[in-house]
Amino acid sequence: MPGRQMRIDEFRVEEEPYYLPLGNELDIADAAYRDGSPLLLKGPTGCGKTRFMQYLAWRLKCPLVTVSCHDDLSTSDLVGRYLIRAGEAVWIDGPLTMAVRAGAICYLDEIVEARKDTTVVIHPLADDRRQLPIEKRGELLTAPPEFMLAVSYNPGYQSVLKDIKASTRQRFVALSFDYPAPEKEMEIVCREGRLEPELARSLVKLAVMTRGLKDSGLAEGASTRLLIQAGKLIGRGIPIKAACRAAISEALTDDRELLAALDEMVSSLF
Amino acid sequence: MDLEQLKEKFYQLVAPSMPNEWDVEDALSPLVDSESACLEEVFSQIPAIWPVSQGLCFAYLSAAGPALCHLALDELSLWVHTLLDRYETGGLRGAQLFMADVERQFARQLRGQGSLRLTEVRSRLQPYVNGLAGRELPLIGAAEAATDSQVIFLPSELGVFAEHGENFLLYKLMVSFQWASLAAGMFTSPPFLTLHRKSAHPLDCFFSEFPQPDNARQLFHLLETGRMLSFLRSELPGLMRATVPLLPRLPLSGDESSKPNLLDFLQRGLLRGEEHTHGHSPLTDRAMALLRQCAVRTEDNSVSLAAVRELMGCLTADEDLAATRPLIFQGTLRLQEMRNLGLKQRMDKELKMMRAQFMSLSAAHQPTEADPSSGENEGQGYDAALIMEMESAWDQLTPFMQSMGQQITINEMLPMTNKPTQECGQTQVVQETGTATEGRAGSALARSPHAGGGKGEEMAEPVVYDEWDHRRKGFRKKWCVVSERELLPVENSFIEQTLKTYRGQIRRLRHQFELLQTGERFVRRQREGVDIDIDALVESRIDLVAGLAPADRLFIRLAKNHRDIAVTFLVDMSNSTSGWVGQSIKEALVLICEALEVLDDRYAIYGFSGMRRLRCEIFPIKRIDERYSKTVRQRISAIGPREYTRMAPAIRHMTELFSQVEAKIRLLIVLSDGKPEDYDDYKGDYAIEDTRHALLEAKAKGIHPFCITIDRQAHEYMAHMYGEVNYIFIDNIQRLPARMSEIYRTLTS
Repeated sequence: MPGRQMRIDEFRVEEEPYYLPLGNELDIADAAYRDGSPLLLKGPTGCGKTRFMQYLAWRLKCPLVTVSCHDDLSTSDLVGRYLIRAGEAVWIDGPLTMAVRAGAICYLDEIVEARKDTTVVIHPLADDRRQLPIEKRGELLTAPPEFMLAVSYNPGYQSVLKDIKASTRQRFVALSFDYPAPEKEMEIVCREGRLEPELARSLVKLAVMTRGLKDSGLAEGASTRLLIQAGKLIGRGIPIKAACRAAISEALTDDRELLAALDEMVSSLF
Repeated sequence: MDLEQLKEKFYQLVAPSMPNEWDVEDALSPLVDSESACLEEVFSQIPAIWPVSQGLCFAYLSAAGPALCHLALDELSLWVHTLLDRYETGGLRGAQLFMADVERQFARQLRGQGSLRLTEVRSRLQPYVNGLAGRELPLIGAAEAATDSQVIFLPSELGVFAEHGENFLLYKLMVSFQWASLAAGMFTSPPFLTLHRKSAHPLDCFFSEFPQPDNARQLFHLLETGRMLSFLRSELPGLMRATVPLLPRLPLSGDESSKPNLLDFLQRGLLRGEEHTHGHSPLTDRAMALLRQCAVRTEDNSVSLAAVRELMGCLTADEDLAATRPLIFQGTLRLQEMRNLGLKQRMDKELKMMRAQFMSLSAAHQPTEADPSSGENEGQGYDAALIMEMESAWDQLTPFMQSMGQQITINEMLPMTNKPTQECGQTQVVQETGTATEGRAGSALARSPHAGGGKGEEMAEPVVYDEWDHRRKGFRKKWCVVSERELLPVENSFIEQTLKTYRGQIRRLRHQFELLQTGERFVRRQREGVDIDIDALVESRIDLVAGLAPADRLFIRLAKNHRDIAVTFLVDMSNSTSGWVGQSIKEALVLICEALEVLDDRYAIYGFSGMRRLRCEIFPIKRIDERYSKTVRQRISAIGPREYTRMAPAIRHMTELFSQVEAKIRLLIVLSDGKPEDYDDYKGDYAIEDTRHALLEAKAKGIHPFCITIDRQAHEYMAHMYGEVNYIFIDNIQRLPARMSEIYRTLTS
């Protein structure tokens, strides 16, 4: 239904998401929430940033509004816009405004992908003012204590165009994420991919190997998410090597030599 | 074609070089009677070989005729490619051997039979082992498999089996085995040693406890091999399953021996099963039992060490196990090299510590500029105090360091301090041969603006830059003289050849770069455009309803993304870039230029080299607003190895030039093959810190520096200089041309 104002209850995380804490990230995030500080999550792709936010939201019993940023994301997309309904102009809140009003967590995923001007709108919200000006309505919203702003980005992208400005990043409490230690990663893959521990262990070994290939031309190694995907394929009856090829090797690179080297790793491990 | 015509054609291809006429005649005379199609193909390879080595090129011409008896015409370029690889690894001698036997060395491999060469499998196995180890473990050709903990040695050629596939599997097993020996602690020191020599590996000390150390060594290696195989079975089960049919077929030296010894039996038992050894003698049975025990406990080498002790007690004095060759994948133990490497690493670390300690001492003792009256006596007092402090610093070093006898004399270290007389502002006339730490640039500049006189005209007034001295946490004022010199364009077939070799790739790159350029996006709220902007229309309507003045910007326009990017490539032209390195850098430049031509990104290319601080030379190859013309291409051809890598002045000069360029994104890409280093004391931490500072200065001016390096030690200093994500290491120089454009695309999209 076009133009419907989404209800905040739709964003509640009802069931406990699976999340295995890797350090003191939950304590820090908890403390930041109580202090009204915004959160910056950084780390490679597929290492559990989004899952962490879901878990945090569930733990805090807060709705979680997630916005995946892209390079055409405008301020209106975040704040809201007027629409015409039955000859009347109706204001529809954007995800950010909705989260501020309802005291939810607003999570801007991959913030560096958004246009630079959009990040400015979060500035007054991310410091001690905690305010969101809605120009079109002449309204100044002050965020309730339950509201939290969280953003994420991947510092590994070597692009000069995709860096987060100091004026933005210096407003946040930053949590650095990385791939879990092998034992923990195995536990995660085992549970999420519904695999036997031995198979999960080999998949994690494979991931660790691929992460050592940065110098050989692999931009990033296999993420925990890829391992889980491979695990699920295996669970559906796809042969292990084919599943690894489809879910891991081919997802990582197009380079023939690297693909060959990855195949060698897979054939050694399984 | 007669000899004169051939000669003329040859000279055209190698211009501007003018090799001796008799050499050319010698090399070309066997080709006189060849068919023109053959000649065409043979000559087309010359531009690839000539810049690598002229001697090789002559040898190639002599050998090309006979080679074509074994090869099809279209196989010649592959043969030459392999030849160049051989030259890189084995020098001219290696290349000549390769050319002498075309059938065995090349043609058979081409048909997928017989032996497999390391060069053919390296591209596949190198990333494989890097992945296994989680670090760079270069694979290097040698007589036998081995490792010294930093490198894995493998036979350059493997022909144990008839099929390529099986030989490849054996290579893979070798690599995995050598990795396992590092990962599973084959080289861990024994806990108790009765004999202990510092310069020897602890395992060697252990072996020398026995009357026949070689026997102990051989036994230990085999027992550990059993353990490694069982480690591999648990870590890489897939590989070990695949090698099951292979292992029993591996040749053993015991098969040829009329009287197999204990080691022969153990090898047989390990690879072919225990039924081959059972019941031979109580000693063999016991040894087999010990071998089994070693394989069960995979954590460390302690069981093997105990087993060696037991077996050595049972062996008779005349037993010689050295006659048994080690298993092919097992290779040899390079314990001494491993020990030397370990010692060197430790020494470097301690030397660094000592330097740091010395720096803090000298900084504490440095007279201030406000005290110009520091007379001779005070100077002596300073030296005496310094020597005393040095002695106490020496005492604080570990006994290990002292035992190595690495005495660093005060004289050696003094140039690193700032002599009080210099700090007092005396102007000294400096010889061009002075070290980095002597004299002032200004005076020398006045004396000799053309000092050094490199090739090419000086193009503008030399510019003087400061140099950062991390020890005094300040600049050496007006320290380096940077002059721009013209790189004389060279007319040869390099560009043509590169365009030909990479034509497919260039087409692909251009297409990819076009996609970057046409990054289209919709611009909303325009007065005119291709579509109606519904949001704007709605708002306008709302305003109308609300009684406000409606907006008239109601259209969406499709606009191309304006990439306001300017980039400067700074190319290291130091002496070390000779051969393949320089060639690949040049090819990479041609490729990136070809690709960049489809974009509006402005770009400049500069080379740098020089010798000492008074002659830092910059060679403009393409200025930022210059067209990518024939002259530019000829300048790229002219890039060649020159002198040293004093990187920071070049970066400062680029920063200076670049800061005058208006662009939203300014990118400085440095292509280098090693650490910053100059002829004088400009090396080590000093050079790295100065370069780092120059890069920070560039960043402060809004320039993004990025480095592409091929130095294997890059990780030790690059992250410090450029920042963790601002450099990339390329492990295979021949892939640089392809990778560079890819890196540029990633950087700017």
